[in-house]
Amino acid sequence: MKALCWEGRNKVEVENVPDPKILNDRDAIVRITSTAICGSDLHLLDGYVPTMKKGDILGHEFMGEVVEFGKGVGNLQVGDRVVVPFPIACGACNACELELYSLCENTNPNARLAEKMFGHSTAGIFGYSHLTGGFAGGQSEYVRVPFADVGPLKIENGFADEQVLFLSDVYPTGYMGAEMCDIRGGEVIAIWGAGPVGQFAAASASLLGAERVIVIDRFEYRLRIAERHTGAETLNYEEVDSVPEALKELTGGRGPDACIDAVGMEAHGATMDDWYDKTKTSMMLATDRLSALRQAIHACRKGGTVSIPGVYGGFLDKVPFGAAFGKGLTLKMGQTHVHRYLPILMDRIERGEIDPSYVITHRLRLDDAPDAYTTFRNKEDNCIKVVLRPGRVLGDGCCVLGAGC
Amino acid sequence: MATHQIRKRDKDSLTQFLGWLSVGLGTAQLLAPAALCRLVGASGRGASHRLMRLMGVRELAQGVGILTRPRPSAWLWSRVAGDGLDLSLLVLTAVKNRRARSAFVIANVLAVTVPDVLESRHLSEKQGEPQRGMLVRKAVTINRPREDVERAWVGAAELREKVLSAHAQVSFADAPGRRGTELAVEFLHAPPAGDLGAAALKVAGKDLPTQLADDLRRFKQQVETGEIIRSDSTPGGHLLTSQLRQRPAQPLEEVAR
Repeated sequence: MKALCWEGRNKVEVENVPDPKILNDRDAIVRITSTAICGSDLHLLDGYVPTMKKGDILGHEFMGEVVEFGKGVGNLQVGDRVVVPFPIACGACNACELELYSLCENTNPNARLAEKMFGHSTAGIFGYSHLTGGFAGGQSEYVRVPFADVGPLKIENGFADEQVLFLSDVYPTGYMGAEMCDIRGGEVIAIWGAGPVGQFAAASASLLGAERVIVIDRFEYRLRIAERHTGAETLNYEEVDSVPEALKELTGGRGPDACIDAVGMEAHGATMDDWYDKTKTSMMLATDRLSALRQAIHACRKGGTVSIPGVYGGFLDKVPFGAAFGKGLTLKMGQTHVHRYLPILMDRIERGEIDPSYVITHRLRLDDAPDAYTTFRNKEDNCIKVVLRPGRVLGDGCCVLGAGC
Repeated sequence: MATHQIRKRDKDSLTQFLGWLSVGLGTAQLLAPAALCRLVGASGRGASHRLMRLMGVRELAQGVGILTRPRPSAWLWSRVAGDGLDLSLLVLTAVKNRRARSAFVIANVLAVTVPDVLESRHLSEKQGEPQRGMLVRKAVTINRPREDVERAWVGAAELREKVLSAHAQVSFADAPGRRGTELAVEFLHAPPAGDLGAAALKVAGKDLPTQLADDLRRFKQQVETGEIIRSDSTPGGHLLTSQLRQRPAQPLEEVAR
């Protein structure tokens, strides 16, 4: 089969690799019909996530059709359409019982590596380095799905791929980012990053009852989409003197009740600390660039919450922890417990509260994936979200690279 | 309240670090005296290479002594004496050759002398018999009632045999808050040649604590999920040795079930 493989820093290629096979009784093989490139895939591309190996298949946002399953899978049939959550969860351990699926205790066969780095291991994740298990990802024609009786959500309501694909990651990730803000009605929520996670965090914050949502980015086209689809106010950080000061002045001196960092470890910023991070990371003296997180902590009101759905990977330098302590902030973060949100968010889609496909700007073939990574990373052609369709030719509404949609 | 004895030992991580530093530096001095002479600003002529090798033998002996003895106070003090000797030779080198790098190396040796002195004093203050070996406890919490876990343990003949031959104690306890069952295996870990021996066993994949940690993890997976999770990069399931030699995360050509 064809699959997109990581070939080294800043290099991905479509290669022919063996077809996946059932390894465990609770596995299923899924033929991919749609798969997306995630912002966090760029962290792998850019070499910010350790333990990548040449030949690793990328991709953790995908859906498709069940073509085979092991004898331990009792709830799926060949031909079922399924969306697959990006964390792999066993459904039986204490973490899964507590619905903390991305912290599953059993699904990382490289747990020891993760324990050395983090103290404890997270769940296995498709196509996301060997630290999270070394599972082949879904930017391919087929994928093996472990614990297929636990994770995949059957799509039986006739929705098109594009309307439900993002249940695999970015929609629940944005939703969890908003949910972690403990919105009870009437809050002001500031969101750093108007990529897909930031877009869905903004939409979710509004749906959960926030009175004002302010989205911060530097790309006007992304801010306009947030404005149009989520009703958010926007702030271009390249056009203001100081984001925390601007937010303070926009919120009566109080500051946002909660701040969501939907950017993560490769933040950009028009600030000195961003240049400091860039210098240190380029010399391998630091692991993450965190100007968005610093601003979020600095801007948040006293006693507020900083929610961090953006991915961080290492040892963060110059975190304003004194500010977080002094202001009594609550910090909440983590990989998304996707399984927990699937029924809730499917319900919202069915009720017509949201159509997540609005973030899609590029529809391409799997063969075009290397170029798509470049377009997405460089924010060329007004790109927000790329959906790849393995095994399909252009013609059914797909855009060619460069045309924009 | 109980005072725990788990992982109690005389040597702390700073002592171990200083031991490995001696082994590393000594090996470099023995194998590459010319490069080390250049580094410290020595001329490299005359007896300097031989002197560098001699100092390397000294460092190596100190490192081996620190890593193999249970309470290496004397060996740590020998490092302090060695620092004095190194500083004297470096000052002579600096005066003779007048190179800036000698001053840089002197600053580094001084920076290491401080923890050498503090750690030597710390270890010298310990009373009583040196602690030989270390009580290690490997434990997992399995999200099942105790009787289920005990029944599964009876069925795990290979693992029980390994635990028995290591003279380890096995215990089962209800986890706090009725959150499953804690399975713990406790044993005295006293590898031959101390930390050096432990490191050699680890590299060879024969380190008992690591093996038992792997085995307990797999036992938990089996009891909780009915299978050992396998990925494309680690098709054999969780084993520390296989984690160091991973294949790419893409499907295998052939599958062994």
